[in-house]
Amino acid sequence: MNVAIVGQGVVGARAAQVLRDIDITCNVVKDADHTGSCDVAILARGGEQHDDAETLIGRGISVVTTADEPDEIEELIELDEDARKEGVALVVGATAVPGLSGLLARHLAAQFDSADEIHVAVHGTGGPACARRHHKTLRGFATGLQDGEWIKRPAGSGRELCWFPEPIGARDCYRADLAEPMLLHRVFPEVQRISARRAATRRDRLTATLPMLFPPHAEGGIGGVRVEVRGVRDGARTVEVLGVAERLATVAGVVSAVFAVSLGQGLIKQDGVIIAGMEALPTSTLVRMVMDSGIKIHAFTGITD
Amino acid sequence: MIKTLRRAIFALSLAGITAAVLRIKGKGGVPPQQGGWREITPPK
Repeated sequence: MNVAIVGQGVVGARAAQVLRDIDITCNVVKDADHTGSCDVAILARGGEQHDDAETLIGRGISVVTTADEPDEIEELIELDEDARKEGVALVVGATAVPGLSGLLARHLAAQFDSADEIHVAVHGTGGPACARRHHKTLRGFATGLQDGEWIKRPAGSGRELCWFPEPIGARDCYRADLAEPMLLHRVFPEVQRISARRAATRRDRLTATLPMLFPPHAEGGIGGVRVEVRGVRDGARTVEVLGVAERLATVAGVVSAVFAVSLGQGLIKQDGVIIAGMEALPTSTLVRMVMDSGIKIHAFTGITD
Repeated sequence: MIKTLRRAIFALSLAGITAAVLRIKGKGGVPPQQGGWREITPPK
């Protein structure tokens, strides 16, 4: 099995590390034209990924994308037919959010008789492209699903105090222009309420409409992902929460590498668009592979006396 | 003017006394000592 990683940033480097740790040959290249012959390609370059994905699919290569912008995600989903024709898979949004969040949501939903609410929160950023994206998500509008209807609210509104695993702790999270509600609705059509929030400071919200005042850091600090699923189990209303505290570039690298390995080794056999959390995916195995790659997942146990 | 000032001083004094009583006599309880996050084991 041979994997090509397009992009030489932190996400690409972490994905390459995960693959090398399990003795899988990978080739990190600058752009999609230099992938050569490979079984799977991971697009880990910040910015537009649609054209690269289209090119690679045309060459009969399965693709794992790390895009997270709603418009781009929709464009990638439109490549479903092309991927099916070529008999290859296209994983859309194999990052922390979306990506790991979808896997955790499916893992939790399996513990319910019926799940009807999914709430995702994310804290922190990966590389510079992710930081620029974070800045952008706090302006414009955020979508969410409420009682089965799409709602649109100003990004940066709807403050909610969300607890992440230590060392992050409690953070104020706000609605943001994230692709997560749209992707989760595709894989959980029965769920009535879906929201996605991201942690932000007052300065983040105040300067969201301005250009970035300072160039972003090479990599953000420890980030966090929090997935809360509510539903009914044994006739009682129940809430389950899973969280991760880790550098988001590491999470994105691990999730993209896990999907690449699963495609290359035939663990995921379906063609066309694949979204983390799909019912047909072997989610338990994928979550285990993510954990085996060093990501610690925590469950919120609640407060006891 | 003096009347307003007296009322303000009275209100502040009353608030201070109430706060002092609550601080000394109040029972805030002990914050939760258990719970929080637990690392999960990999699913089978």
